[in-house]
Amino acid sequence: MKSMEEVLRDWEAVIGLEVHCELTKLETKMFCGCKLEFGAEPNTHTCPVCLGLPGALPVPNKAAIENIVLAGLATNCDIEKHTMFYRKGYMYPDMAKNFQTTQGPKAFCMRGWLDLDVDGRGASERYNLEELAEGEQVENITRTADGYRAHVGIERIHMEEDAGKMIHVGGAEGRIEGAKESLVDYNRAGTPLIELVTKPDLRTPEEARLFMQKLRQIFLAIGISDCSMEEGSLRADGNISLRRRGTTQLGTKTELKNINSFKSLHDGLAYEICRQAEVLEEGGVIYQETRHWDPSAKRTIVMRVKETADDYRMFPDPDLAPYDLSDEFIERVRAKLPELPDQKAARFKESFGLSSYDARHLVEHRATTAFFEDCMALPECKPEFAKPLANLLINDIAARLNNGEQIDASVLTPARMVALVGMLAADELSSKQGKEVLQAILDEDADPAAIVEARGMKQVSDTGALEAIVDEVLAANPDKVEAYRGGKTGLLGFFVGQCMKATRGQGNPKLINQLLTSKLG
Amino acid sequence: MTQHVTEKDVRAIAEYARIGLTDEELPQMTQDLNAIIESLKPITEYDLDGVEPTFHPIGDLSNVMREDVEVPGFTQEQALSNAPLQQDGSFRIPSILGGEA
Amino acid sequence: MSFSSMNIAEIQAGLRAGEFSAREIADSSLERIERVDAQVNAFLEVTADAAREAASGVDAAIAAGTFDELGPLAGVPVAFKDNMNQLGTHTTCSSRMLENYVSPYTATCVQRVLDAGGLPLGKLNMDEFAFGSSTETSAFGTTKNPWDLQRVPGGSSGGSAAAVAAGMACVTLGSDTGGSIRQPGSFCGVVAVKPTYGVVSRYGVVAFGSSLDQVGPFARNVRDAALTLNALSGRDPLDCTSQECTIDFTANLEQGVQGMRIGIVPAFMQAQGLTSEVRSAIEAAAAKLEAAGATLVEVELPNAAAAMSAYYVLGPCEAFSNLSRFDSVRYGYRDPGHHDLGSQYEASRAKGFGPEARRRIMLGSYLLSSGVYDKYYYPAQQVRTLITQDYTRAFEQVDCILAPVSPRTAFKFGEVSDPTTMYLSDIFTISINIAGNGGMNMPIGLGEDTGLPVGAQLIAPAFHDANMLRVASALESIYGPAPVAPAFAEEEGGR
Repeated sequence: MKSMEEVLRDWEAVIGLEVHCELTKLETKMFCGCKLEFGAEPNTHTCPVCLGLPGALPVPNKAAIENIVLAGLATNCDIEKHTMFYRKGYMYPDMAKNFQTTQGPKAFCMRGWLDLDVDGRGASERYNLEELAEGEQVENITRTADGYRAHVGIERIHMEEDAGKMIHVGGAEGRIEGAKESLVDYNRAGTPLIELVTKPDLRTPEEARLFMQKLRQIFLAIGISDCSMEEGSLRADGNISLRRRGTTQLGTKTELKNINSFKSLHDGLAYEICRQAEVLEEGGVIYQETRHWDPSAKRTIVMRVKETADDYRMFPDPDLAPYDLSDEFIERVRAKLPELPDQKAARFKESFGLSSYDARHLVEHRATTAFFEDCMALPECKPEFAKPLANLLINDIAARLNNGEQIDASVLTPARMVALVGMLAADELSSKQGKEVLQAILDEDADPAAIVEARGMKQVSDTGALEAIVDEVLAANPDKVEAYRGGKTGLLGFFVGQCMKATRGQGNPKLINQLLTSKLG
Repeated sequence: MTQHVTEKDVRAIAEYARIGLTDEELPQMTQDLNAIIESLKPITEYDLDGVEPTFHPIGDLSNVMREDVEVPGFTQEQALSNAPLQQDGSFRIPSILGGEA
Repeated sequence: MSFSSMNIAEIQAGLRAGEFSAREIADSSLERIERVDAQVNAFLEVTADAAREAASGVDAAIAAGTFDELGPLAGVPVAFKDNMNQLGTHTTCSSRMLENYVSPYTATCVQRVLDAGGLPLGKLNMDEFAFGSSTETSAFGTTKNPWDLQRVPGGSSGGSAAAVAAGMACVTLGSDTGGSIRQPGSFCGVVAVKPTYGVVSRYGVVAFGSSLDQVGPFARNVRDAALTLNALSGRDPLDCTSQECTIDFTANLEQGVQGMRIGIVPAFMQAQGLTSEVRSAIEAAAAKLEAAGATLVEVELPNAAAAMSAYYVLGPCEAFSNLSRFDSVRYGYRDPGHHDLGSQYEASRAKGFGPEARRRIMLGSYLLSSGVYDKYYYPAQQVRTLITQDYTRAFEQVDCILAPVSPRTAFKFGEVSDPTTMYLSDIFTISINIAGNGGMNMPIGLGEDTGLPVGAQLIAPAFHDANMLRVASALESIYGPAPVAPAFAEEEGGR
């Protein structure tokens, strides 16, 4: 198989996402008063409504409607005032009524968008990006200093209910294949679920991944869900098709399901791009099918071939009154809108002089964002601390959070962090030492000053002391000094290393550098 | 009488509705359905241009909702009280794909 | 003492005066069911314990001097159509599908009757899932019309009508999707009310056509029906389509029809299939109302002719969807021996549902399929708008409409076997369900040809159900209250 980069030279990938998000922050289900709880004993959170008993009727949860309107406002959607719930017929045992209550052609939220900032290695997935000048715009993207910005349309966000859960028994490892029987648990049935459908505006797996990540940041910020991909409260399905570069007609798409991490979303789509290209280049056809990403095998496998379009027999649910949302209702929800990640990043840039890159990445994690703000709010924290603080948070803390690590807030307090950053800003510690101290704070539950003291880690920034050491080093290596002056400037690193060694790693590398160049020059 | 649905259509409708239909029942069901569909003809002949549908005969009633407050539901035993078969607190059914006999 | 022909006022007066106890009412009613129902087959289940328990509650209140704090149905023997959930009772909908189903919860309408002090005698036979007009589609045998045991009681609430007509219950509840309260009411000669959609909660009543279904009472006089409506009506937080309703349905029963404008629909009176005895009985009733001071006004319902086809689109579509939950997973009939769910689904639904249920499910599945939806379903909902507008215009001219309920009196078992002909039983009742306003059957004597009960349909504007009860009460003062069917009548005070 060709690499994705090779494939994308000849083919354009057209990707759309369908994102399901359970409204886990609510107390109760969508259409009944049963408690929302993950992991309870089977069938202990049910009632006539969510078990689909004969005669039971649904009553919508007002807070769920507020949540979806909030989600719509946070993603630049128009709020549709006149909407209805529909019944979508689908006979499957985890669907208690054998129809899903969902929305029809009009959803509560329509026509939204999000802008994605793609930078670093991910930006290189976009074909021919280097041909664009900064600020230049092509299709839905605009070239930026460190990558590009993509404008991604959101078709709609609608309200629906989740299904129950099935466990397959009698076969291997709970797999449906080979199972003799299934056990059905309706605790999850009726969980309020919003489904967001993007326009097919995404062109690379990285864009898809960033879209999901950004959406997750927003949903976490507005507090509608715990957005756990592992536990399935945030789920993404990717629709993907290829077309030859320069053509506009859409190819046959496959649907990628059961994606439970951002990495899976990226890698699954990347695999599908390569697989589809191979099939097409060998003269084969792509079937409209649902495929499953198997992260351990690193490939997608067919789940279901769609021979005909699904016919869900949809019609307006006669048991539910229509919606006629008032401006007051919408404005009341709008008032609950917190500062969103993009707004926060803009403010950080503005107030603390951070770069776009730093500001953007700082708001990726709610924990680090809040921590940053707590630090900046401390009286001893000076404005110039912002940059080193952001660096530590983005490069060290966020990376660890990304690996699923829990950072103990009681150990790493804002006060300790600011103390550490203060030393960095005052050049009392090198950035390498900074990392070491940060690790020590976490390991030893100690204050930075105490750690620095105990380890004798003070950075030597005394010019006089350093000058003496520099002189010693130069005197001890006359041949290398000769060579340097003869043009082998690459030897500077050697001299710095020798000086650092002589100061047992505590010399200020910046100062040493300056001293060396002036003395050697 | 107009043939609205063929036996093949009726077979597909039955499959969708998950109602087993024997080969013997098929002709009669097809005939019955055609007769009923034929009687619905007036609906297709009305001039309904510009007429809004009434999906809910409830006047101006809208936005009917409940507060997000927990209401006690069933115990596991109550939930399963009518289950044809149960196991480990769950409803037990044959496999969707069909296990071996 | 016999309670078989007593009305609510008589029962409550006797209880207050200490002439008998609620326990005696319960025992006597249960004993009568035991004796009479062998012939009528109205009851699918008798809930003797529940009746006696409710009776002790009433007797305790009498002893404590708090009887007047009980609800409007205190001490009244009642029974429920078997599509109404009542905790611990079977709710079969007269279907094999639910033969062994025991309700784990109670419908709001049932709860309100119990809260009002009713003595619950049991659950009543019906057409399977309410699909029918004769109760012949019940999986558990037909119910006989107490006026002539060779004849059907009408349907789908045939058991509810027959139980009242045979004096087995004072009040029963039924449900009406296209005429299922009014038509059996007319066949069995009892007062039978389908209130405006939204007056009574549908929560816990097994749905047929969710936008059409409405629960209402059967009784032998208008006041009893009105009192029952008082107990039933009002917003239920568990049913989004139920509405605030603070009407006292008994308030204007005594006012007479002086000054009322009563509509006659010429197209109905000239309808093909309307028997001459029904037509002349309706005309006679109209004349009597006019003589009593009402003004008769001809009104047109130009789109009512399309109601039948709209109904046979909307009903099956909603039924198809509502009945998809019967899948043998959580409850209901499960055909044994299947190793894959698909074949279990198909066999369980093929054997659990009777032929009429299967037909309607199939029809709904067809009508909602893509391409077909736009041809039938959507136009049917547009026709609903037109029919509703018809009624709105008509009720600008009149307070109430007088019409036939059924084109004919009760027919014999097996006499109507073709489904499309059977559907015509509801020709005069269906448009009311489509529009959602109130309609009721009022007995107006016996047909001159058949000697069987004839019913007049009174139709009221939405949420003005009291208008039709007022007219019904005026008719009652002319024709008298509905009697227990002669074969089942007992001497007053006899045993």
